[in-house]
Amino acid sequence: MNARIERDNIVTQALGQIGACGLFLLQILAAIPRSLRYVRETVRQLWFVGAMSLTIIMVCGLFVGMVLALQLYHVLSIFGGTAATGTVVAISIYRELGPVITALLFAGRAGTAITAEIGLMRATDQIAAMELMAVDPLAYVAAPRFLAGLIALPLLCCVFSALGIFGGHLVGVTWLGIDNGTFWSNMTATVDVWKDIISGVVWKSLAFGAVVALIAVFQGYTAPPTSEGVAYATTRTVVASSIAILALDFVLTAFLM
Amino acid sequence: MSQRKSYAVGTGLFIVLGFAALAYLATQTSSVANRQQGDSYTVDAQFQNIGQLKERAPVKIAGVRVGQVQSIALEPGKAVADVKLSIDKRYDTIPTDSVATVFTSGLLGDQYVGIEYGHAKKYVANGGKLALTRSSEPLEEMLGKFFGAGGTADAIGGTYKVFARFSNVGTLSAGSPVKMAGVPIGQVVSVQAEPDKLDALVTLAIDNRYNQIPDDSAAAVFTSGLIGSQYVAIQPGGSSDMLKNGDEMILTQSAMQLEDLIGKFLVNGSGSGDGKQGAGASTSPAGKH
Repeated sequence: MNARIERDNIVTQALGQIGACGLFLLQILAAIPRSLRYVRETVRQLWFVGAMSLTIIMVCGLFVGMVLALQLYHVLSIFGGTAATGTVVAISIYRELGPVITALLFAGRAGTAITAEIGLMRATDQIAAMELMAVDPLAYVAAPRFLAGLIALPLLCCVFSALGIFGGHLVGVTWLGIDNGTFWSNMTATVDVWKDIISGVVWKSLAFGAVVALIAVFQGYTAPPTSEGVAYATTRTVVASSIAILALDFVLTAFLM
Repeated sequence: MSQRKSYAVGTGLFIVLGFAALAYLATQTSSVANRQQGDSYTVDAQFQNIGQLKERAPVKIAGVRVGQVQSIALEPGKAVADVKLSIDKRYDTIPTDSVATVFTSGLLGDQYVGIEYGHAKKYVANGGKLALTRSSEPLEEMLGKFFGAGGTADAIGGTYKVFARFSNVGTLSAGSPVKMAGVPIGQVVSVQAEPDKLDALVTLAIDNRYNQIPDDSAAAVFTSGLIGSQYVAIQPGGSSDMLKNGDEMILTQSAMQLEDLIGKFLVNGSGSGDGKQGAGASTSPAGKH
């Protein structure tokens, strides 16, 4: 079946990938109850994709917040509205930049690792060996990584957003001299818990987490068992996740906001 | 095994950190931080125009936040906004004759409801109503007042109507003031285009107190300030007969367009090198176009 797909043109190939990915999602969802037996494996994956990504997420969040405050301060000072810097930094991070950048970083940092790991498991026949030992690879390999991505991304996004606000405060208040009270009170007056934080930081990043983890696991699981195949699957994880994140972001924004 | 344990501890720390960040965002950077802690009670207020007032906008007394706008709805069957204010229980001594006003914080800021205390001995209770309200004033009106065009006559004692035809009324509209010697003496009732005469028929309602206006007086459309609103200025003539109800003012001067003036000024200034005189001379025909 794989050979047939490769002979088809690019549209059929893309549709075939999407369809196979959807079916794979159903398989993973069905395997989740069985994977509860391997909860330790899920925790271990959560450590690898979540806790190990903290450094890059925190550094990037800090710099994104800082550059946002710097840019906004200069634009807003044209209108004499520098007091709104904190508000705009917070809202743009909560609604867009937090979930999207975290998901893109996550795809690059953790998604590729998942794909390469599963792809090499396949290439070195570890998955076949599990099947021989009557261990369901979907429940032991795929589902824990999917769950870990789903749980880790919202948490990482919260950390990213908090660091972004801190970075914005650092540049806006400490460096550019916006009044501290103005910065916070304007922010708290405008930011809404449900519309901005829950629907932005939580719902969006949950959706992105599911999409990135699914693509990463799927690409690894279906990678051709060669070194070239694994390399190609890793690249495709990043490309497909990035497109999926940005496209889904538009759709979610249209629905949630 | 100890390897696994460290995973578990690290992962647990990661999850706790994530939730702590979420709790921080939700409580410290959002409007939850502003929500009052104690119980609150609800007071109704009805406004003619709430402007840009939104739900959760602050309610302030003497500038101090005492609550927030709970809901805004249109009163059924009336063009009146029914605003429910949720006020902190601690501030339960608001006199029943207090005035609720929709204010704007700063020039472009958000709007909020300000309450000014009255003198009644009775206090508003839960579900009570503030009968005295002042609506939001559109910025245009405030600017108009600021530039001196506002302050229409009070029309006590009735008005009489006179007509005036202009070839160009600019942005003059119903409600614009009519002034004589800078003092508002009435207002524009209607501005209508006359299709057959190709001009604008303006109906002025002038206060009955000012019934000593000569019938050869001139009416001109002026602009107050550079960006102020337009008004009708009456320049008294010398006739011994006075304007009566239904009269038409013959001498009129139309609105001057700022664009025309600037255009003429620029053209003459660069052409003759004698800008001021050229511009001054060309403004008088501008009125008649």
